[in-house]
Order: sequence, then structure tokens, then C-alpha cells
Amino acid sequence: MDISLCWRQPSGMVGSKRMRMPANFRWLVATFVLLYLLNQVNSQKKGTRDLKCTTNNLQVWDCSWKAPLGTGRGTIYKVCIEDRPRSCHQLEKTNIKIPALSPGDHEITINSLHDSESSISTFMLNEKNVSLIPDTPEILNLSADFSTSTLYLKWNDKGSVFPHHSNIIWEVKVLRKDSMELVELVTYNTTLNGRDIVHHWSWASDMPLECATHHVRIRCYIDSLHFSGLKEWSDWSPVKNISWTSDSQTKVFPQDNIILVGSDITFCCISQEKVLLAQIGSKNCPLIHLDGENVAIKIHNISVSENSGTNVIFTTEDYIYGTVIFAGYPPDVPQKLNCETHDLEEIVCTWNPGRPTALVGPRSTNYNLFESFSGKYVRFKNAEVPTNESYRVLFKMIPNQEIYNFTLSGHNPLGQSESTILINITERVSPHTPTSFRVKDINSNAVTLSWHLSGSFAKINLLCQIKINKANSGQELRNITIKGVENSSYRVAVDKLNPYTMYTFRIRCSSETYWKWSKWSNEKQHLTTEATPSKGPDTWREWSSDGKNLIIYWKPLPINDANGKILSYNVSCSSVEETQSLSEIPDPQHKAEIRLDKNDYIISVVAKNSVGSSPPSKIASMEIPNDDLRVEQVVGMGKRILLTWHPDPNMTCDYVIKWCNSSQFEPCLMDWKKVPSNSTEAIIESDQFRPGIRYNFFLYGCRNQGYQLLRSIIGYIEELAPIVAPNFTVEDTTADSILVKWEDIPVEELRGFLRGYLFYFEKGEKDASQMRGLESGHSDIKVKNITDISQKTLRIADLQGKTSYHLVLRAYTDGGLGPEKSMFVVTNENSVGLIIAILIPVAVAVLIGVVTSLLCYRKREWIKETFYPDIPNPENCKALQFQKSVCEGSSALKTLEMNPCTPNNVEVLETRSTLPKIEDTEIISPVAERPVDSSDVEPENHVVVSYCPPIIEEEIPNPAVDEPGGTSQVIYIDVQSMYQPQAKPEEDQEMDPIVSAGYKPQMRLPINSTVEESAAEDDIDKTAGYRPQANVNTWKLVSPDSPRSTDSNSEIVSFGSPCSINSRQFLIPPKDEDSAKSSGGGWSFSNFFQNKPND
Amino acid sequence: MDLRAGDSWGMLACLCTVLWHLPAVPALNRTGDPGPGPSIQKTYDLTRYLEHQLRSLAGTYLNYLGPPFNEPDFNPPRLGAETLPRATVNLEVWRSLNDKLRLTQNYEAYSHLLCYLRGLNRQAATAELRHSLAHFCTSLQGLLGSIAGVMAALGYPLPQPLPGIEPTWAPGPAHSDFLQKMDDFWLLKELQTWLWRSAKDFNRLKKKMQPPAAAVTLHLEAHGF
Repeated sequence: MDISLCWRQPSGMVGSKRMRMPANFRWLVATFVLLYLLNQVNSQKKGTRDLKCTTNNLQVWDCSWKAPLGTGRGTIYKVCIEDRPRSCHQLEKTNIKIPALSPGDHEITINSLHDSESSISTFMLNEKNVSLIPDTPEILNLSADFSTSTLYLKWNDKGSVFPHHSNIIWEVKVLRKDSMELVELVTYNTTLNGRDIVHHWSWASDMPLECATHHVRIRCYIDSLHFSGLKEWSDWSPVKNISWTSDSQTKVFPQDNIILVGSDITFCCISQEKVLLAQIGSKNCPLIHLDGENVAIKIHNISVSENSGTNVIFTTEDYIYGTVIFAGYPPDVPQKLNCETHDLEEIVCTWNPGRPTALVGPRSTNYNLFESFSGKYVRFKNAEVPTNESYRVLFKMIPNQEIYNFTLSGHNPLGQSESTILINITERVSPHTPTSFRVKDINSNAVTLSWHLSGSFAKINLLCQIKINKANSGQELRNITIKGVENSSYRVAVDKLNPYTMYTFRIRCSSETYWKWSKWSNEKQHLTTEATPSKGPDTWREWSSDGKNLIIYWKPLPINDANGKILSYNVSCSSVEETQSLSEIPDPQHKAEIRLDKNDYIISVVAKNSVGSSPPSKIASMEIPNDDLRVEQVVGMGKRILLTWHPDPNMTCDYVIKWCNSSQFEPCLMDWKKVPSNSTEAIIESDQFRPGIRYNFFLYGCRNQGYQLLRSIIGYIEELAPIVAPNFTVEDTTADSILVKWEDIPVEELRGFLRGYLFYFEKGEKDASQMRGLESGHSDIKVKNITDISQKTLRIADLQGKTSYHLVLRAYTDGGLGPEKSMFVVTNENSVGLIIAILIPVAVAVLIGVVTSLLCYRKREWIKETFYPDIPNPENCKALQFQKSVCEGSSALKTLEMNPCTPNNVEVLETRSTLPKIEDTEIISPVAERPVDSSDVEPENHVVVSYCPPIIEEEIPNPAVDEPGGTSQVIYIDVQSMYQPQAKPEEDQEMDPIVSAGYKPQMRLPINSTVEESAAEDDIDKTAGYRPQANVNTWKLVSPDSPRSTDSNSEIVSFGSPCSINSRQFLIPPKDEDSAKSSGGGWSFSNFFQNKPND
Repeated sequence: MDLRAGDSWGMLACLCTVLWHLPAVPALNRTGDPGPGPSIQKTYDLTRYLEHQLRSLAGTYLNYLGPPFNEPDFNPPRLGAETLPRATVNLEVWRSLNDKLRLTQNYEAYSHLLCYLRGLNRQAATAELRHSLAHFCTSLQGLLGSIAGVMAALGYPLPQPLPGIEPTWAPGPAHSDFLQKMDDFWLLKELQTWLWRSAKDFNRLKKKMQPPAAAVTLHLEAHGF
């Protein structure tokens, strides 16, 4: 260690570093130093080298050096410490132990003598250059607790060699397996105090120690404050190891361990054969291989175990090795710790264990209840599975101790917990349930209750609560305080009870400083004894219908007043002169009849039970008449009826309201009610009241002498609608009115106060009106509301004669409308009206006729001028003169004399004319005419053949024209147009020959050629003779519906003669579709009817 | 007393047993002395009933032991549990057993098993489990009595309990919880095997003690019924 070798020069050298020198001077110094160093090397080759000093106890320094080069054995060293006297040592070794030097530099010279050569070396020695290296520690003992996997180490610090107190740091190294894997390196601080101290150190292994060899080494480091030199760790101590020597069949470790839930744990298995599988529960775990075939598994955060623990299994080829681990919790703090006593002899403490520990059986929590004042305790061993139910332990009370301080501690293998409670036990009394509970009579109003309560309550007062249930009544609680006694019976009197009443008693107790009630005792039923009835029965009297007997009624006494079972009643009637009495009327009978003359009697009724008689209740027999009595009406509200009256100072005792069903026979009495004389109203209520039933109420006032009927009231609890309709008949019927009469409805069926009638009437036959109801509100239903209930008839006026009326009558009350009764009545016929109705039209018609006739007569000239102008007489026409004469001869034949007007003459005329003969014959031939439509041909025939009007006249009416008007019209038209081919008056017949000879129809010439070509073959004859004025073509074109129909020409056409009308029809060529169409469209009626058969 | 499913099954089985044996009631048999046949039959039926009861109990108990004991394919080697009477026996040896030896072995086995079961009961952690075990112990006690009855009927003396083997459950300190569980497992397993074996034993014995033909006819009729 070069540092220990100190020379002065280095300081100069250091100093030279600080100086700033010129460059040439630097060179000079460097040369000097080099020379010096060479000199030194040479001198050292001759002297000792490397002086090193160490210490292990701070008291002795062990210094060593190296021998000079070239020297060997036989060298003698003389070591001198310069500043100490007699401190030179001569020795042959290269080391020397010197006492520790004081701080500061010390010059040491070592003079080595070898083969008469000597060299001196000088060293500067300082404590700072000395190293403190403690001796290697030695492990005294290494042991193991396999059950807890803990290693215990023991060693000696050998502190006695150290002069001072020093801190010492130990380093312990734990190595595992044969391969010495470091598993733990810990430091451990102690102090040296001048004595040898054996230190202990323990280490808990995470792995069971059984599974692998564990090695331990230690070393130390002394941290001495008094030593300024270098401090170094000691060497490691020799290894100590520990290993498991298998002497049992157990192969898996740890066995049956109990650990906290959530911990990490390592299981290992010692096996000679290969472990194939390791599992915890049903879960496989990765294997950690240890020495040989040993394996381990590491479980992190273990979950809570089932009751029988968690199984850990190692499986080899042939075997299964396993262990059970119990993962649970330390006991929870006992919750709801409560201590009380039932009897002041034992204290019962209960608590809730809190969170389950999951440890059962031998591992379950044991509890210890410790009382600190007395120092006594009791144990509670819980062998059962922990539940959330309360645990309970008994602690015997200490005599004369009232204050208890309990500490309940629970402990299991994983830990312990506790909770405390400080109580004054006299304030925590919850007595047992009272037993032997009995009831005894004292009198009819009081009983004695007795019960037994176990417990030493002599020092406290008890508060007891009695529950009294009265039959058909509420319950009553009475608290009593009694002095406590030692395990004995208690007795208490209960008063203010009612006689002859069934009571149910129960009792429970507490301490006076209430803590908790005991449970209720069994209940006891008790009937109190009887007492005399407290008052007489409520009494009323009625005279019998014949007025000779007085019937006395009384009501059974209410149970509160009867005070026992009523056995009989005594009734007595006393007047000034006499007293009659009826005694021992047995109980169920509540009326008695006594024959009395009409004297003023006082009736008294007394009820008797087994104990005695009630005070008599008295009532006067006399009835004071009342002249001013009206019958009033009242309707109830709900199930009750309210009666009010004006106060009457004359009434000195009470008011009595009696009531009865109105249909009941005398004496009328259902019930009565007495109200005090200062009352002005009473509410009558009875279960017997029924809606729709009429009741009579009588209010009596009581005077000294007797009762006076003040008011008579009829009423209903509730009004209902009548159940029958009024019976009605029709008294009288006229043409415009009906008189209806009806009867009253019986009271029983009325079911309310009658408020009126509703009368409906309407027109209607019996069948029809049954179809519709009255309610439908038809406007033709008339309703009459008859509110005057005394009215029994009704005349309905303003009716129509000979009409059926539907009459309906209904009665109504405030309860509603009753059913309806209906009737149909027919009013009488009105004859005057009928006569008038006939006479007036006749008279009017006559008058009109007369006036018209008169007018016509007056204006006949004008009419004639207008409507019948003079028609020029053809006779005046000379051209026709002859014809007239000709025809004159046959004028007698003008009616239908075909043959007399034979065309012989015509033929003669024709021959004179230019018309060919052939045509004539052809025309005559009826054969030729037949195929053609007869109506079509016939007129032409006549025209052509004879131009003889009579013949034509006969033929024409046949086919179509029936109306006379038609004929006249034809005549008129003919006159107007001066054309008369068909219908002619008789005089016109003369014209015919002329026509046939000279006159030609208007169309003849222009049409002749064209029509002949286009017309049908049948029309050939037309060319020869007459042609009707109607042109076929014209008709075709000029149909009435066409615009041209308004033409003057067409007008003439449409106004044609009847013959023309007919012929028009038939003249239309059947083949011509256009004409058919036009006729269909425009020929309205006639056309329509004609065509119809064809359709 | 609360009835469990096992109880009702048991009651049903008992009822069936009673009905089954109605024709075997001595009064119905015209053969006079019925001999040991009915009691053998009764013992046989009881064995079958216990088999059924054990199935339910074992399910509960193995669940209590936890996995892997309650896993169906768990089949550990027979570690420890050496004192348990073994039911398995060579077929030839079993055939060569005489009635007395057969019954004696049954009796001894159940005596031991019963004691172990009672120990199991004391150790069980839950009340429900204790109830089931106590119920089964009662039934097993009945079987033991039944076997004793058969032996008495056949005139065989009951075996004396060996003083060396104290049939009480005393888990030693070296007995770890795990080994205890293994023992429990094996106890249930042996019990089951013994019940199977007993059923065969009593069936064989029953056939041997078959009553005369008349009784057989009656029995068959009843069977048809």
C-alpha cells in the first residue's frame, strides 16, 4: 500500500503543481525529480518496502512489510517508532504487532540487517492508513423449526476484544439447494459493548425447509466511531447448512397449515420418483424443481378454504401425496356484544361473531369472556360451524357486585380480537316469563292476580304490565310497580272492573329501571261476579186497540247495566186507589199487559238478577190529547232519520219517539227512543229500517201527568220508485179530446212520497208504438207532468179525430219513476168537417162552371171568331159543284158504305182523266196490298181509289186514333192547311172526285221521279195517285229532335192529320236504319209504345 | 324430525321390502318353520338398501372432502387405511368359504366399519353431515344385527371382538389431515365393496337355504302379484 509510505517530497511536488513557473525552469525541476526517483529506487532495493498495517480489535495494529530485494532468511529487522521511547523491536519476521498508535503521523524506521549489510527504511504511519478488518465471525449454531419453516442462527460477536462501543453490521446470507442459490441476504445491526454477546437471528422461509438444504453464512463490519482508518467487511463465515432427515411417511410440506386468506404459500414434495402432477383443489400448478426429484409449487393469493380444508396433491407414477391447507381469517371483532340477566343470578352475554373465519372444528374460534373487576372468566368453545347466529355464554354473577366490565376475546390460529362492555347489571334485567299466572275474585269490581317469577329480585323493584282485554271491547294496559323478592310469587289487585264481565288478563315484567320486558305470560280468562242491575229497564206503554188494556214494553238491560244475568222482571201499576203488579216475569219476555180502567197510573218495572233488583223505572200511563196535530213527512239520510222539534218548556221529563211500520196494525210499535227533555232533535237509527217502507214516527213529550203526542211524522229511510203504475181508464173520448182518469197507488207499492204523474201521449197504432219507447224523446211524444197529486183526471185536448193515440201514465217519487201503464185510444170521427170538405169543392166547381158558361155565353161571338172562324164552303166552289151532286145521291151512304161509293163512278172519272187503267186495277187488287203493311197502304188505297171521304173516314179511325180531340184537331188542321186527304167532314166528300181528277198533292211533281227510283217496289202506286204530303226524306231529316224541327214546314208535318201521324209512322221505310234511329230518339211516346213490342 | 330425500327413499324401500315379503310371512307359509331363509332375505334386502343409502351419503361426504376426492375418476392408491377390513378377495378363496366363515367375515367387517363410521361422524364439521352419518350408522347397526340374527338362526356363534384391534377412531398425531381424508375415502370405498360382497354372500346363502317347492310357488305367485 503505497499510500502508507509517506515522503516529504510529494508535498513539495504538490506544491510545485500550484506554482506557475517558466518553461525552462520546469525542465530543470523535471530533471531533478527524475534523478531523485532513480536514487530512491536504488535505495529501496536495498531497504524494506510496503509497510501495511491492519487491526481487528483497534488495540493492536498488525503491520507487515516486504523484505528488501535480494534478502531472504536470516535478515534481522530493527523496527523503531521514532516518537516513542524504547520502542525499538528487533525481530526476524516481516511483520510486527504494535499497540495502536495515537492519531497523527508516526515515523517508523525499519533497519534491515542482512549479511552485514544494512538498510534503513523510514515510513510515516498514521491511523488513517490502518485498515479495520474484523475477525471472521463464526456461527455457533444453526437450527430449524420445520413446522414453521424457520431457521434459527446463533453466533458470538466477540465484543470483549473491542475497547469501545461500536456499531457492528452483520450480513447473513441464506442459500438454498445444493447449488447454493441465494435466497436471502439480510443485514443485522448490533453494537459491541465490550462483552462477548451471542446473537440470535431467525428467518422464516417461504418454502418449507424440509424440501431443500438451506445454507447460511455471515460476515460483519465494524462501524467504530473512534477509528479513522479504513473499515472493511470481515470474511464470510464457514457455511452452516440444515436439511430434513425424513423419518416419517410425510412427503408433502407444510402439513395441515392454517394461513390467512390471500397469502402466498409454497408447497413442496419430497419424492424419490418423478412427480407428474401437482394440483391444489382441482387446479393444476406448475412445478418448481428442487434437488433430486423434489418439487415445489407456489400458490399466490390463496382463496378461502371449504370446511374440510383445501387439498394439495402431488401425483407420481404410483402414489399420491398430499396435504391439506386451511385458508381462513382471524376472528372478527365480536359484534353486538350484549350482557343482561334474566334473574340477577346469571349474566347472559350474547354476541355476533361477525365475518366467518372459514375455520371449523379444532381450528374454529374460541372465545373467552373475562370480567376485569372480579378477574373471573368463562370460556366459550365453538365446535360448530361458524354462522351468523348469536353466540351466548353464561357468567355466574358475583355477590354484591353490580358493575361488570366484560372483555370478550376470540382467538383462532390466525389471530385474535376482542370487544368490551361495561354494565350495571341491575339496569339490565330482562325477567323470565311469569309463570303460574292466576286470577282470583275479590268482588264484582276487583280481582287478584298472582304469578311466579324466578330470580333474585330482592334488591330491585319490578315494573309489571297487566293487559286487560274486556269481552267485545278494547284492551287496557295497567302498569304496576312491586317490590322484588327472591324466587317467589307476586300478587297484585286489579280494580275498576265491571261486574259480570269476561276479562282476559296477561302480565309481563321488567325492572323498574326499564331495560326489556319479559315475554307475556299465558293469558287467563276470568268472569267477574255479578252485582245488582244499576238501573231499571227502558220502558214504554201502549194502550191496546180496544183501550182497555195497557201493554207495558221494556227493553232488555244493556250488559253494562244488567251487571249479571237478568232472571226476571217485576211490573207494577199503581194509582191513588190501587196497585196492580205482575211479578217474576221471566227474562226473555219484555212486555206485559194489564187491564186498567182509564185512570192515571204510574207503571214501574224492575229487573232482577241473582244478586238483587234494579232501581224501578217508572212511566205514566196517561195520554194527554193534542188537538193541534199535523202529519209531516220526513226522508232519512243514509240509514237514519233526523227528527227535530221546537223546545217546549212544558215538557218536564223526557221526549219519546216511537216508530212503527205504517202498514202495521195497532198498536203500532216497533221501537222507541227516549231523549232528554232539553233536546230538540233525535236521530233515529235502526237495523230494522228498510228503504221504500213507510214508517210512522210519533214524538211524545212527557209531562208530569203523562205523555202527549206532539208530532206525527211519516217517513222513509230512503225513497224508492213506485213498483206499480197507476191504474187509469179513459172516461170520455171526443173527436179532439180524451178524458183520462186514474186511481191512487197503494202506499206499500208507492215506496216513497208521491211527487206526481207523467202522462205521455202520441199518435200511434198499437203495433207501431210498441216498437219505440217513450224515452227515445220523439218530438211527437207529448208529455204532461202532473204535479198536483190530488188530480185524478186529465183531459187531453187538441187531438185529431178518428186517430189512434198511445197513452202512457207513470207515477214518480223522489226515488224515481215507476213503471208505465199504456193504452191505445182512437178519437171519434169529425162529421161536420167531412161534410164541409165535400161541399166546398162541389160548390167551387159549380161556381166555376157557371162563370165559365156565362163568360162563354157572353163572348161566344169572339170565341167563334177566334176558334171557329167560318170555313169556306166547298159547295160554293164551282169546280166541285158536280161532285157534290154526284155525291149527294149517295149522301145517305156516307157512313161506311164502301160499296155504294164504289169506284164505278171513280173509274168513270178516271177514264176521263189521264191516269192509266193498269194502275187502277192494280190498286184495287187486294192481293197486291197484303204483303205491304196494311196501315201503310190503306190510306193510299182510299185516296187513290176513290177520293171518297166517307170511305177514308171509316178506315182511318181503326188503326190508331181513338181520341175525339184528335179528330177535331185533324179537322182543324185540315181546315187550316186546306188539305183534307183523310179525315173529312161529311160535306167534304164531294171534293174527292175533283181531287182525284185535278188536285195533286204538293210534293207530287218534284218527288215523283226520284222517289220512284229509290223507294220500295210497293210504292209504285204512289206515283199514280195520291201522295201523302209527308216526304219520306223530309221526315228522315226533319226529326223533332233536330234543329230543323222548328221549321214551319216541319211544324206542319208534325201537326199533320191523324192519318198523317199514323202514316208517318208506317211510311218510314223499315229498312232505313237512320229513320228508325231518328224515330227512336224523337218520337217519344207513340213511337216508344209502338216499338216496344218489337223490343 | 325432518325428513330428507334419503329418508323418503328409505321409507319407500322399506315399504317395498315389506310388500315383497308379505307372502314370506310365516303365517302365510304352510311349510311350518320358515328356517333362516326369511332372515337371510331380509339381510340381503337391507344390504341393497344400504348400498343405495351409501350412494347418497358418499356423494355428500366426498363433496365435503373437496376436490379431487369428489372427482369421479379419482382413484388414489390405498395409502394408510391399513386397518380397514378389505372386502376384495380372490374369487376361488371366496367360493371356498363356508357359510359360517362367510357370515363371520361379514360380521367382523361391519363391526369395524361401523366403529370407523362413528369416528367419522364425531369428526364431521357440519351438522348436516353428522345427521346423514348418524342415519347411516343406524342402518348399518341394523345390518349387523341382521347378520347376527342369521348366524344365530344357523347356530353359529358370534365372533368375539379381538382385544388387539380396538375399533375406535383415534387419529394419531402422525395422521395428517390429508391421510385422514384418504382414510375416509377408503372407508367409504371399502364400505361400498363390502355391501356388494355381502349382497353376493347373502344371495348365495339364500339360494342354499331355498325353502321347499310349495313355498317357492307361493313366493312366485306373490312375485307375480
